[in-house]
Amino acid sequence: MEEVVASPREWIDRNESAKTMLARVLTARPLLLLPPLHRVPLRVGNVVELVGTSPSAKTHILIQAAVSCVLPKEWNGVHYGGLDRLVMFIDLDCRFDILRLSKMLKHRINGESNGSLKKIDQEHMDFDLWNNDTKKSPTYDEELYSLCMRRFLFIRCYDSFQFLATLKTLNYRIRKEQELHGISVHILMIDSIGAFHWIDRASTFMPLGATNRKTPSLQTVSETVVQEIRKLLLLHPMLVIATKATIFGDRYSMETKRNLGKLDTSNSRSMSSTSLQLPYREYMPSVWQMILSFEPMTVIARSIFQNGCSHHRVLWINL
Amino acid sequence: MAPLKYLEQEYPILDSNFQNFCATHGIFSEEDLLLHDLHVLVAFAEQQSTSERLKQGITQVLSIIDGQHQPWLNGMELLEDAQLNKHVLSTGCEGIDLLLEGGLRMGQLTELVGASSSGKTQVCLLATSNVAKKHMGGVVYLDTGNSFSPQRVIDFIRQNSDPAIDQAKHRILQKVMNRILCHSVFDIFTMFDVLHQLEVNLRSQMQKGDCQVRLLIVDSISSLVTPILGGGGSQGHALMASAGFLLKKLAHEHNLVVLVTNHTVGGEGGISKPALGESWKSIPHVRLRLSHDQGSSIYNVSVFKHPSMVSGKAARFTIYD
Repeated sequence: MEEVVASPREWIDRNESAKTMLARVLTARPLLLLPPLHRVPLRVGNVVELVGTSPSAKTHILIQAAVSCVLPKEWNGVHYGGLDRLVMFIDLDCRFDILRLSKMLKHRINGESNGSLKKIDQEHMDFDLWNNDTKKSPTYDEELYSLCMRRFLFIRCYDSFQFLATLKTLNYRIRKEQELHGISVHILMIDSIGAFHWIDRASTFMPLGATNRKTPSLQTVSETVVQEIRKLLLLHPMLVIATKATIFGDRYSMETKRNLGKLDTSNSRSMSSTSLQLPYREYMPSVWQMILSFEPMTVIARSIFQNGCSHHRVLWINL
Repeated sequence: MAPLKYLEQEYPILDSNFQNFCATHGIFSEEDLLLHDLHVLVAFAEQQSTSERLKQGITQVLSIIDGQHQPWLNGMELLEDAQLNKHVLSTGCEGIDLLLEGGLRMGQLTELVGASSSGKTQVCLLATSNVAKKHMGGVVYLDTGNSFSPQRVIDFIRQNSDPAIDQAKHRILQKVMNRILCHSVFDIFTMFDVLHQLEVNLRSQMQKGDCQVRLLIVDSISSLVTPILGGGGSQGHALMASAGFLLKKLAHEHNLVVLVTNHTVGGEGGISKPALGESWKSIPHVRLRLSHDQGSSIYNVSVFKHPSMVSGKAARFTIYD
């Protein structure tokens, strides 16, 4: 389609105003308000990393985000406020517990249908992880529950090659699932991205005959992973959330504990990101760091004892 | 992973023309394919005279790759598997069972951390006797420090048995003890050998009724891993991570309870912390800390990490001599 520019003036004239452009962008790539990450301006096409020592509640955050994603916006007259989309979960840690997802989903469904919303503390941006509310609702929507559970797609990988094989065939898989369910995949979760770090790092392969042959090493594997994710995001725009466990934590753990001691739950306003230094050593190769849309978000879990029973609270600091 | 030329037998489309084409791009085996950008390969194939056949070959190869990862499951299928296969096995110790809401879960790797003589081996032997007797499952015990004591296991079995007929007792005892297999391993490579052999046995053996292995114990894994950690190289950590993955794979695929023990080292400020470092922390599902009151037979156990429990929950239990 050739368009001959009639005059230079036409070329300078604007195509659209800022207002219309903003309207177009916001509808094409809307903000995903996913509790518990609802404070972060996440968009489809972003790659996010959650970092934390083990145990911090990284996988818990993923599960909560997954529940928010698979629930529909409204069902049988009850408003759930979910994104009504599929979630794909790649478990590299091989520690995923489906019963947690199941419990959280049931709790969410019960909570909404009973009209009682889980209170999210706006001030501290933290919330009760383990809700000790054990009173069971007699009936919950079984149909909705099984529908949502089936929207959660899961795979586990025991080594880097399986992970690469999964990523290479993910395109076809997503298309198949989208046809099956009729809705698109919104989130790809990877738990955790550094799982094979040591194994890949130590894999020394003999130099193989041909010079243009790639030997599997940490660098080549990471490059391929990043390349595949980039291609995937072009074809299927979705949000990628990856967790990462810290490996070199020891030297900094004392520092962390001292800084955490300064945190006062009653004095939230004084908490600023500069007053807390939580260094951890970055061990992912730079190709991975470059694909991230935001700085890695640190997840810290702290037990707080309240009224004699312990609650687990999570605080994030965006570095 | 097979070199491409061995795939020709099964998939005739991957003929020598295809193999030569791949060789010019440095692809000789399936691993190379995984590291290569297949879209770029397709673009190169377009330029060749036999482009159609080459593209069919690439599609075939992609479907071979699709068979190399675990199957995708949805939430309901996972839940069914967990409910049908991943039950909870009681350890024989009420305190621990109460803490873990039933006992050790199949498909999970549980770690017992404690200083020396804090009761780790005792708990392992107790769990062994309980699984062999009450749950009638096979036990594979990897002993790294010659601490396995058949006599102690017999004591535990006799403790909880009802006063039954003496004649039958001996036969029952023999049957129960036959379910327990103890291997002495003194280095990590022997452990890998034993575990791989176990994997092969489990895969080939279908329902064998009475003697299906239910519990795998490595006492202690830290004595196998600690000598190879450190020294600046990453081989030690890689072996530790591989061991972790192998144990978790065995636990999940064959529905085993895997129990490992770890010792403690000094940390900052004199507080002891579990050995094996930071990278090991994210490998087990459940981490329990054991300690022993001096001179008594009372033990304390607390939760370090659990998928669905707050850490810090504690309980006490007694092991009688």
